[in-house]
Amino acid sequence: MFGEEELVKIHKDRATLLSYIITAAFGLVLSRLWYLQVYKGETLHNYSIQNRLRKEVVWAPRGLIFSRDDQLIVDNIPRFDVILTPQFLINKDETLVKLSKILSMDSEAIKAILKKNSNQAKYRPIIIKKNVTFKELAQIETQNADLPGISVNTFISREYRDKEIGAHLLGYISEVSQTQLPKLRERDKMDYRLGDFIGQFGIEEQLDKYLRGQNGLEFVEVDARGRRKRYINTDNLFKGIEAEKPLSGMNVKLTIDRDMQIAAYNAMEGKVGGIIAIDIASGEVLTMISRPSFDPSQFSRGLTPEYWRSLITNKEHPLRDRNIQEHFSPGSTFKALTGIAAFEEGEIDENTEVNCTGKWMFGRRAYHCWKKEGHGATNLVKAIRESCNVYFQKAANRMPIDALAKYAKAFGLGGRTGISLPREVAGLIPTSEWKKKRYGQEWQPGETLSCAIGQSYVLASTIQLATAYAAIANGGKIYRPFVVKDVYDTNGELVKTYTPELLSSIQMKNPKTLKFIREGLFQVVNSPKGTAWYRRGQGILMAGKTGTAQVKGASADKVHQKCELMDYESRHHALFVGFAPADNPKIAAAAIVEHGCHGSSAATPIVEAVITKYMQKYHPEIYLQNLEKDKTIKDNWIKSLRAAPAKPAVGDE
Amino acid sequence: MNQRLVDFFKRYDFSFIGSMSAIFLVGILNLYSATHSQAHEGLDSLYKSQLMWFFISAVVAICISFLNPKTFERFSYVGYVLTLFLVFLVMLMGKVGMGAQRWLVLGPIRMQPSEFMKMGLVLAMARFFTKVNPEVELGFKELILPGIIVMVPAVMVILQPDLGTGMLLLFIFSMMIFYKRLKWKTIATLGVISVLSGVLMYNFGLREYQRKRIHTFIDPYQDARGSGYNAIQSEIAIGSGRLFGKGFKNSSQASLNYLPENHTDFVFAIFNEEHGFFGSVFLIILYLVFFMRLIWLATSVQRFYDSVLVVGIMSIFFWHAFINMAMVSGLLPIVGIPLPLMSYGGSSMLTFGVGVGMATSISNTRNFFN
Repeated sequence: MFGEEELVKIHKDRATLLSYIITAAFGLVLSRLWYLQVYKGETLHNYSIQNRLRKEVVWAPRGLIFSRDDQLIVDNIPRFDVILTPQFLINKDETLVKLSKILSMDSEAIKAILKKNSNQAKYRPIIIKKNVTFKELAQIETQNADLPGISVNTFISREYRDKEIGAHLLGYISEVSQTQLPKLRERDKMDYRLGDFIGQFGIEEQLDKYLRGQNGLEFVEVDARGRRKRYINTDNLFKGIEAEKPLSGMNVKLTIDRDMQIAAYNAMEGKVGGIIAIDIASGEVLTMISRPSFDPSQFSRGLTPEYWRSLITNKEHPLRDRNIQEHFSPGSTFKALTGIAAFEEGEIDENTEVNCTGKWMFGRRAYHCWKKEGHGATNLVKAIRESCNVYFQKAANRMPIDALAKYAKAFGLGGRTGISLPREVAGLIPTSEWKKKRYGQEWQPGETLSCAIGQSYVLASTIQLATAYAAIANGGKIYRPFVVKDVYDTNGELVKTYTPELLSSIQMKNPKTLKFIREGLFQVVNSPKGTAWYRRGQGILMAGKTGTAQVKGASADKVHQKCELMDYESRHHALFVGFAPADNPKIAAAAIVEHGCHGSSAATPIVEAVITKYMQKYHPEIYLQNLEKDKTIKDNWIKSLRAAPAKPAVGDE
Repeated sequence: MNQRLVDFFKRYDFSFIGSMSAIFLVGILNLYSATHSQAHEGLDSLYKSQLMWFFISAVVAICISFLNPKTFERFSYVGYVLTLFLVFLVMLMGKVGMGAQRWLVLGPIRMQPSEFMKMGLVLAMARFFTKVNPEVELGFKELILPGIIVMVPAVMVILQPDLGTGMLLLFIFSMMIFYKRLKWKTIATLGVISVLSGVLMYNFGLREYQRKRIHTFIDPYQDARGSGYNAIQSEIAIGSGRLFGKGFKNSSQASLNYLPENHTDFVFAIFNEEHGFFGSVFLIILYLVFFMRLIWLATSVQRFYDSVLVVGIMSIFFWHAFINMAMVSGLLPIVGIPLPLMSYGGSSMLTFGVGVGMATSISNTRNFFN
């Protein structure tokens, strides 16, 4: 055995070898350095002077969005901001005076901006003026030498041509947030980076993978301060290196019609709510507007705190979409479905008459009709036309709630329509089983009476109502609503096309059901006694149903109170759902106006404006024919008035 | 009293702390120079936190220097198991950084346990070789247990995936067994085996990006704008320094941001660009002084454990310095290995402090007995 010190000693030879190895290793490094710095030193030194290439990301332009008739809706536009970097600012006063002349701003105002940002680091540029004109831009570029520290920042801005019109449908883009980053990478298996813009809402979100292109790489030659040079020196080490061109995003064509969007938006001026219109033979969404709205362009530029505050403090919630992301009590618009259910189940036929006295005592509770004096003897067509509550309640009372629910669900209510837009709500059609599960209670027959007229638990969105009425118009076909027609690549080649998808075709047991329902809906608008007669429009021959949904459960003494006299918050929601032309339906539309009081006066004109625009644009001959038909209807009415002045239906339900 | 203080300082071998401080001084100036123009990325104040880490590490080194080397011996395996546990924790819940799991986050502290693993491995090896047949020359039979001790952490680190650090563990290990008189026959056989396994590893074990690095190493110009970019820019930076360099804060490659990570892995390139060949000679001599002094210490201690431990500590820093300089100058493929005391990084600095502290403690004990 060795002692400790002997052990150390016998290892000494290896330690000496180690010191040789280490010296040799560093000798190797030094000889390499000699090779690089002395042997090739001059060459590499020249490279370092000439070769000022820098790798930069070239942002891919995002795809454009077009309306169904190829009108541009969403565009990319270069914008120029004038920025000032305090670090490089010399002769402050003089420079600012020059700048203020070019930008026609007060130089004090510029100073104020600088002062506001004085607490941040000096090398951080401050935006002096956003969106300068080409003239201002040219002046700044030419006087570059006299404006130290002033430069122009160019970027591609996402421009939504019609600003607030259709913002909820189009959505917006904004920078990926730190919290989104890992989720997105996981979801799309793509290497997102901070600073990337992605679609965050609506179509921009849903079609992000098509719209977003692929960023490229560029080698720019820069001067000693890192600024781009104007000429590119090709005689350098990187000869033969090609930049990677960015791949533009794909262009998208929507099913939406821009002119109808504008018509709908204008018709909703000053109102809160939504309108949606679909093609009944395909499910193509033609119009989708929600108001109040927001300007999506603001998001792509980085929201100003003021704009964001104005959006979130607005009591009407401009960011909320009223068509697919919200549901409401459908009110009387639901009566068409109650009618269908009762007719199909054989509980009523076209001749069944109910005597409406203005209220109906069911058990100990009185169920009121909106018309205090009652409708008298009422059959199906009259009940729809004049929106008689008692008729539909008595009809519904003859069947279990589950029978009613079966038909409502068959027509697309109580479940998502499956439109390819994010965050659609499902609405609600109650069943006895649902109530047991939700509340642990048995279904009460009285609740059926409320549901029959679209109150109580029943909830629906405008897109569901439009789909249901489209099915009434087209004989029971439920199409999945869709908003995107085609996706094209930048060469105009079709990449993907979306075709109508028939989800179900409802087999009606009784061939007369839809005929009489449609007749009722036709008379709502085109009979002098109909609830929407005074808002019927010209040349569209619309059929439809008005609806008024109570916001709060109305107590008996308030049932007949005038809606306009109530607090804004407790006023009824107004709805209208319809299709046109009644004799050859092509389009269905549903509108809601929050706290609009009457379906006829608040919601009907919106639907009418959209359908009128549609008929004029896409079916001008039919529109002209229908103008004639309208004239006949009007003449007959005037004749009948002269013969026996009847009391017209004044009230609205 | 005064005499006792003088005696106390006489015991101290200031050569370790001295050369460490000298290299650090060069390093911090270089770091400042490399990052001063990168204010827009918030890197310009990195040197301050590097300074802070240096003082923390210096305090750690001084504290450790007061310990008796026997304490290290006693806690050798504990240290190994503890660091191994930390590496295991990273595998479980590490934060993803640069695509690999290397960081462990404990409240405000982010640490890279694979840095500490090197020290843990060295401690365990020193202990093992002094306890189990210390006089015997190593052959294959004697390598089985030490082999397991090194392979467990090495495989875990490689799986993170951090091929560079994993290989580093193996290099440190091989330097230690070389010192522990590995038979020349075994060295030859191991050489053949490692060449063969290297070929197999390349074909079956490497990830695409790792393979690409090797391609890039062989011909950086083949992919000059992708992965070869760093290698070329690094060579340009070094070469453009010529004999005397461009001067302090005058690196154009750094200020123009050509070199990515120029505050961590590529600091040596910036140093070369600014101070030229003579600057590098000076820096390398500083490192050599440090390593030679450690080897001298290893041969002049009384206890075998101390000797093996010092060789281990030396090999940690040698391999870091050598691999980093070789990769930056294009002698080796680019792997993420920092240059001790020059590259920015707290964990690496702390490992250095612990190593220097242990060496000082061992040297003090030696002087005490003399």
